[in-house]
Amino acid sequence: MSGAQSTMQTPNSRREARLIQFKIGLRRVVRNPSTLVGGLLVLTLLVMALIAPLIATHDPMAQILTDRLQPPSSAHWLGTDQLGRDIYSRLVYGAQPTLLIVILVIAFSAPFGLIIGMVAGYMGGWVETLLMRLTDIFMAFPRLILALALVSVLKPGLTNAVIAIAITAWPSYARLARAETLALRHADFVEAARGLGQSGRKIVMGQILPLCLSSAAIRATLDMAGIILTAAGLGFLGLGAQPPMAEWGAMIGTGRDHVFDAWWVAAAPGVAILLVSLGFNLLGDGLRDVLDPKHHD
Amino acid sequence: MNRVSLTLAATLISVAAGIPLANAKTPPNLLVVAKNIDDIVSLDPAQAYEFTSGEVVANIYNKLVEYNPAQIEKIEPGLAESWKISDDGKTITFKLKSGVKFASGNPVRPEDVVFSLRRVIVLKKAPAFILAQFGWTADNIDQMVKKVSDSEVSVSIAENFAPSFVLNALAARPGSIVDEKEAMKNAKDNDLGNAWLSRNSAGSGPFALRVWRPGESLVLDANKNHAGGPPKMNQIVFNHVAEASTQRLMVESGDADIARNLGPDQIAAVKDKAGIKVETYPQAALHFFSFNLKHDKLKNPALWEAMRYLIDYDGIANTLLRGQMKVHQTFWPSGFPGAVEDKPYKLDVAKAKDILAKANIQNLSVDMDMISSAPFTDIAQSMQATMAQAGIKVNLLPGTSAQVITKYRARQHEMMLLYWGPDFMDPHSNAKAFAYNVDNSDGSPQSTTTWRNSWAPAELSARTRAALVERDTAKRLDMYRELQRDVLKSSPWVMTFQAQAQVALRNDVKGFIHGPTNDLVLYRNVTK
Repeated sequence: MSGAQSTMQTPNSRREARLIQFKIGLRRVVRNPSTLVGGLLVLTLLVMALIAPLIATHDPMAQILTDRLQPPSSAHWLGTDQLGRDIYSRLVYGAQPTLLIVILVIAFSAPFGLIIGMVAGYMGGWVETLLMRLTDIFMAFPRLILALALVSVLKPGLTNAVIAIAITAWPSYARLARAETLALRHADFVEAARGLGQSGRKIVMGQILPLCLSSAAIRATLDMAGIILTAAGLGFLGLGAQPPMAEWGAMIGTGRDHVFDAWWVAAAPGVAILLVSLGFNLLGDGLRDVLDPKHHD
Repeated sequence: MNRVSLTLAATLISVAAGIPLANAKTPPNLLVVAKNIDDIVSLDPAQAYEFTSGEVVANIYNKLVEYNPAQIEKIEPGLAESWKISDDGKTITFKLKSGVKFASGNPVRPEDVVFSLRRVIVLKKAPAFILAQFGWTADNIDQMVKKVSDSEVSVSIAENFAPSFVLNALAARPGSIVDEKEAMKNAKDNDLGNAWLSRNSAGSGPFALRVWRPGESLVLDANKNHAGGPPKMNQIVFNHVAEASTQRLMVESGDADIARNLGPDQIAAVKDKAGIKVETYPQAALHFFSFNLKHDKLKNPALWEAMRYLIDYDGIANTLLRGQMKVHQTFWPSGFPGAVEDKPYKLDVAKAKDILAKANIQNLSVDMDMISSAPFTDIAQSMQATMAQAGIKVNLLPGTSAQVITKYRARQHEMMLLYWGPDFMDPHSNAKAFAYNVDNSDGSPQSTTTWRNSWAPAELSARTRAALVERDTAKRLDMYRELQRDVLKSSPWVMTFQAQAQVALRNDVKGFIHGPTNDLVLYRNVTK
C-alpha cells in the first residue's frame, strides 16, 4: 500500500479495505477524463447491443433496391447501403456480433492462457520450457495472418472467426501469468501454503490466480480493441460474419466498392470501429491505473 | 484480395495527400487499356482458356473462318478464301488465301494449318475438347486433317454433324493458326512450342505480342506484315488494374484510354464526365443458380418452379446492376440465332408460396455457394431476401472463384450461383451444357451444367443429339428453340440474367469492337 492511501483512511476489516480501495479507484477513474470517455464508449456499445431492436429505426435486413446508396437524411440517418438497407439500423445491430466476438474470444483465450502461464511458472523445469516454447511459436505468427489461415481452413463464419482469434489471442496471457507466477512462486504466503500441505493445483488456483487476475483484466481490456480490429479485418475480407448479418467489418468491405460515390457506406461502420477500439484502449489504460498496484502514483 | 486492398489503400493515400494523379495524355498512336489481366495462364491458342487470354489471342491470330463481330450468325472467310463441303457432309476442303504472311514474314501454308489443329489435339489442354468433338484423337488426327495441295487443306469429321456447327467450332479460339516454323524453332521436349507460345506469339493477325509481365502489363505491337495492312495503333498496352475505382480514376485523368472493369456505380459516376463516353455491349455470358440433385430435398420440380418466382429480376437488373445485366431466362443468349426471348417469370411471392404449399415443401434450409465478389454478393443477398419471404432459408457460402468452381465440379454443392459462357457460337455449345447428359456417373465428370447438378434428362438428351446432326439450318434452329422452351419450364436451375459489358472510353477513341464474347474484342480498327 502506498503512503497516499494510509493517510486518508485506515480500514478496520478486509471487506472495508476492499471497499475503500474500490472507492479510491472509482474516484481515480472519474477524475481521469480519458478513462471516463473510454468507459462511456464501451457502455454505449453494451447498451446498443442489448436494446438494438428498440433503437433501430428499420429492419437491418430489409432491402429496398430502389432506395440504394441514399445519402444520410432524416429518413435514413446514416444513409443506405448498396442493397437499400438502413445503415444506422445495421450499425446498431452490428454492435451485437462485435460484442459477442469480444466476449467469446476473451472467455476462451484468457483462462486458457492464464492456466498455461501459471502452470509453466509454478512447475518450472521441462514443463515450463515446453509450454513457453509453444507460446513462442504462436506468438511468432502475425496475428491477423494466423487468423486468416485458420479461418480459410475451417470455413468462413462467425464461430470460426471466434475460434481463430481465440487461438491467436491466448499467448500474451500465458506470458503475463508466467511472469507473475515466477515472482510469486517463492513468496512467503505461497511457501506457507505449501508448508500447510496444500496441493500444487490448490496453490495455483487459490494463491496465485487471484493475484494474476488484475493484470489479466487490464490486458484483456486493452486486447479487446485488437480483437475488434481483427474481427473487422476478417469480416472485411469476407471471412468473418456472413451475409446478410450486419457486421461492421463486412459493412466496410462492401462499402469499399462505393467509396468514391457513397462514402457513408464505409465511413459509418469505420467510425464505429474506431470509436469502440478507442473506448476499450482508454478504459484499459484507466483500469491499469486503478487495478495495478505497481502503477499507483 | 490483399493486393486489391493495397491498391485501394495506395490510391486513397495519394488522393488524400493531394498528390495529383498524372494528367498526361497517352501518346497518339498508342492505346492504353486499364483491365484486370491476372486471369491469364497461357497465351498459346491451344491452351488459352481465360477471358483475357482469349481476347489477346483473338488479336494476334487468324483462323480459317472467322465471326463477323457485328453479325455473329455470319461466318466469314479468315485465312481460308473459300470452302467446299463434301456430299456426305463429313469433309470440308478449305482453299487458303494467297500471299498472307505471319508476323515473322513466313507465308501461311497448308502445313501450318495441319500443324496448328493437330497440336491442339496432341497437347490436349483445356480448350482441346472444342475440336475433339469432331471425333479427333491423337491417333487419327493425321487422317482427319490433311494437306491436299499447296493451297488446300481438308478437314474431316467422324460423324455427319451440321456443317454450321463444324464451322462455328473452327472459328473458336483453338482454331487459331500458328506459324509452324517459328513454333518448332522454339519447341522444347516435344511440347510443339507450347512453353514458348505461352509467353510469345507467332500469328498472322493485326498484332504481335511484345511482352507479357504477369500481374503488371501486356503489350501488343502492330504486325507490319498483316495482310490487310498494319493497324492504326502502333501499340496496345494493357495495364493490370484490379480495382474498379482505380480504373475509374485512370480513365478520368486520361491515363487510360479505355477502362474495362467498371462496376455500375463507377459507370454512373463517369457517364456524364466530359471527355468520356460509356458504351454497352451485349454479352453471351448467362447468370443462373442451380440445385444439385444429389440432395433429395432439392429433387422436387415444384421447388424448381417456385424458385423461378422468388427473384426480383427487374430490381436486380435495373436498380442493383443498372444495365450491366439484363433479364434473360432461356439457355441461349439473346442476339444469337435461335435464341428464345421468353421471360415468363417475375417476382411473385404469393404464387411461389402457393406452389410450395401444394407440394408440401416446408422449412427448407439450403446452402448456396457463390463467388465472394461483385456482382455475385449483391445478387445473392437480394435472392436470399426474396426467398426468405416464401419461407426458404438460404445460407450463403462465399468463396474464391477457384474454391467455388472446384466444389461445383466435384458436385458437393447444394445450390450454386454462377454464370456460363458458351465455348463457341453455336447453340449446341449451350444445349450440350443445359439439356444433354447421358452418363451421370461420378466416375465420368462432364463440364456441363447438367452433369454438375446431377440431372440426366433422357428425352432432352436425345433431342439435343438430333439437333446436332440436323443439316437443315432453319429446322435445326427450331429444334434448339423447342429445347430452350422445355428447359425454361422445368429444369433444376433458374436462368436469370444475360451480361452486358459496359466500357468507359475517352471520347477520341473510335473503332473499338467489343463483340458478345472476349474472343471478339478487337483492336484492329481503333483510331484516336
